Amino acid sequence: MLTKAYLVIGAIIILSYGLVAFTGKEFGDPERQRVPADVRQSPGGYRSFHFWHSGYRGGK
Amino acid sequence: MSVEASCPACGAPIAFNIGSSIVVVCEFCHSVVARGDRKLEDLGKVAALVETNSPLDLGYRGVYQGVPFELTGRAQLGHQAGGMWDEWYASFGDGRWGWLAEAQGRFYLTFEQSIPEQTLIPPFEAIQPGMPIAALQTSVPMTVAETGIATQLGAKGEIPYRLTPGEEYEYADLSGPHGIFATLDYSESPPKVFVGREVTLADLGLGGAIAPQREARRVAATQLNCTQCGGPLELRAPDQSLRVACPNCGALLDVSQGRLEFMQALQPGKLVPAIPIGAVGELEGVKQMAIGAMVRSVEFDGVRYYWEEYLLYNAQIGFRWLVRSDDNWSYVVAVPPGDVFHKTGAFGGKGDTVQYQGEKYKLYQDAVVQVEYVIGEFYWKVECGEQTRAADYIHPPRMLSMEASMIRVSVEEVVEPEPTGKKKKTRKVRSAPTGEINWSLGTYIKHDEIENAFGITGLPRTSKIAPNQPFLHKKIYKYWLRLLAATFVLGVIILATGSRTKVFEQTFALQPVANAEGTQTIFTEPFALKSGRNIRVSAYSDLDNSWLYLEGDLINDATGDVQTFSMPVEYYHGVDDGESWSEGSKSPSLHLSALPEGQYMLRLEAQWEKWQQPATMSIQIYQGVPRILHLFLAMLFISIIPILVAFYQFSFEKRRWADSDYSPFGS
Repeated sequence: MLTKAYLVIGAIIILSYGLVAFTGKEFGDPERQRVPADVRQSPGGYRSFHFWHSGYRGGK
Repeated sequence: MSVEASCPACGAPIAFNIGSSIVVVCEFCHSVVARGDRKLEDLGKVAALVETNSPLDLGYRGVYQGVPFELTGRAQLGHQAGGMWDEWYASFGDGRWGWLAEAQGRFYLTFEQSIPEQTLIPPFEAIQPGMPIAALQTSVPMTVAETGIATQLGAKGEIPYRLTPGEEYEYADLSGPHGIFATLDYSESPPKVFVGREVTLADLGLGGAIAPQREARRVAATQLNCTQCGGPLELRAPDQSLRVACPNCGALLDVSQGRLEFMQALQPGKLVPAIPIGAVGELEGVKQMAIGAMVRSVEFDGVRYYWEEYLLYNAQIGFRWLVRSDDNWSYVVAVPPGDVFHKTGAFGGKGDTVQYQGEKYKLYQDAVVQVEYVIGEFYWKVECGEQTRAADYIHPPRMLSMEASMIRVSVEEVVEPEPTGKKKKTRKVRSAPTGEINWSLGTYIKHDEIENAFGITGLPRTSKIAPNQPFLHKKIYKYWLRLLAATFVLGVIILATGSRTKVFEQTFALQPVANAEGTQTIFTEPFALKSGRNIRVSAYSDLDNSWLYLEGDLINDATGDVQTFSMPVEYYHGVDDGESWSEGSKSPSLHLSALPEGQYMLRLEAQWEKWQQPATMSIQIYQGVPRILHLFLAMLFISIIPILVAFYQFSFEKRRWADSDYSPFGS
């Protein structure tokens, strides 16, 4: 029983590995957002849109 | 050429039909008549043959290895431990005689082998069961399976040696691999050597031999009442049984002499058999009847441990056993001692192993076992208190068990001076070592199989692990390797076929900013990304004990979807206490999942430690980059269950060996 279950799980793992590789999936992607259309269509829209930010993050 | 004569004892006609036969048994008075150089000699009377329900009979003709033969004589020999066996004498067309021994449904055909004078056959006193015998000219090593003293009991027909009624002689049976069999006959000095093999009736061209319509040996109806309590007794294997226990009063009765004789009083009801005596079950594809059961015990550290053994019988395949120990069960079959290889023949001791059919068995237990109680009937003269040395070797789900009886008996050897004067022998009384070594192969059997076979229910289950209980999850290791191999192959394919396409590369010169919190933002020109391919973003900045922090965004020009990421670039190094060190990287990278196909621009917002100074950084973006990490993770996940199973197996094996004095895990 355990052996059969293991075979199924093993097959799922291999399939998942193949799927991840062939679809270009990565784990732990940072968040995705969307720039609203009106912002994009306005001049300099991207530059003025500051949903991203920043500040000090490096250093020893 | 047939020689006809008259029996010197009764005058009845006798005939020597085979030129090389030595004696013939008078059909009328059972005198053994030997032919000498000049006259016939009466060697005495033998007992009438006891019916054993043998499928063979005098006059049967067969062919062995292309040579025809005829069964011309038969003798019955008594075993010192009780019981007897048949020996048939086959006159072959090429002038040879074959000795065909029949015991417990098995047949052993041997031929006398002349051995060179210088061959040193060990004397009877020097041999022990289990001892290898190297002197014989056999293709395989032989070991002593049994030593004993045989007694001439009955005979019939023409016999190729000087059979003396009542004569006792010492013998040793040897066993080798693949059914090779030999006997050392110490009735002469030097001993005669017979070599052959175990055969089937089909091997002898007697496959169609049908047992004559004889009645099996029966104890008379009046004797089928217990001699102690008068209760009824049923013999289920009347032609084989030597002992029967009365189910009414528990008396143990001897049946070897054709009548019941009281042996021992046993306390009735001490054993309630899990398999009822008389129950028939189908195992090995044949119906077998439980004809006897016994309780045996062994003592360790002052504590006595008990188990049950059930004797099964089928006329075609003989005897089998079911052994119940700690509510675990094994199905047991006898194996030829010669098939079990031990490098020295001195069994026992920590780490001892034996080989059987190419598999190594490890010693589990070696102790003196004792019969505690019996019910039903048995094919040997079992007695309560009977002790044997038993050594169990395991290779789950199988267990090889050796049982050795090493008893010393006083025998009276009667040897009269021969008239020819060739060999003067004297009458003497002495002790002779004797014994027998038996090997049996037990295979772990599930409760369900026994219940289904015998139509019983409710056999108690146990969580205790039997010495030969198989670890059921061993197959998982095989599948583990296969899955790992499959994952590895897939990984190699993925690694080999990854496109690793560079889709963007640019170096940026960063100008000083106003303060430490200041950042510089850059927007790149659009570039194309393909779907279904992961994205690797690499950065490089020639830092020296400093950091640069990047916030990045991949912005889909058409949809406005933004994939954010952040990437610190920091590199520090130095020397502490004379040891140089470094940490961080000037060229870190990260991976992002594939994005929908389209034109993307990159927004970068950089902040760096030395904000007063300009800085440079390079960005590279690749697509379709195979990940070794993913391969490693897949192999790791595939290994989790087998690793857990391995821990469980370790615990299982420790518990298996917990009752052994020879545990590889220590005491």
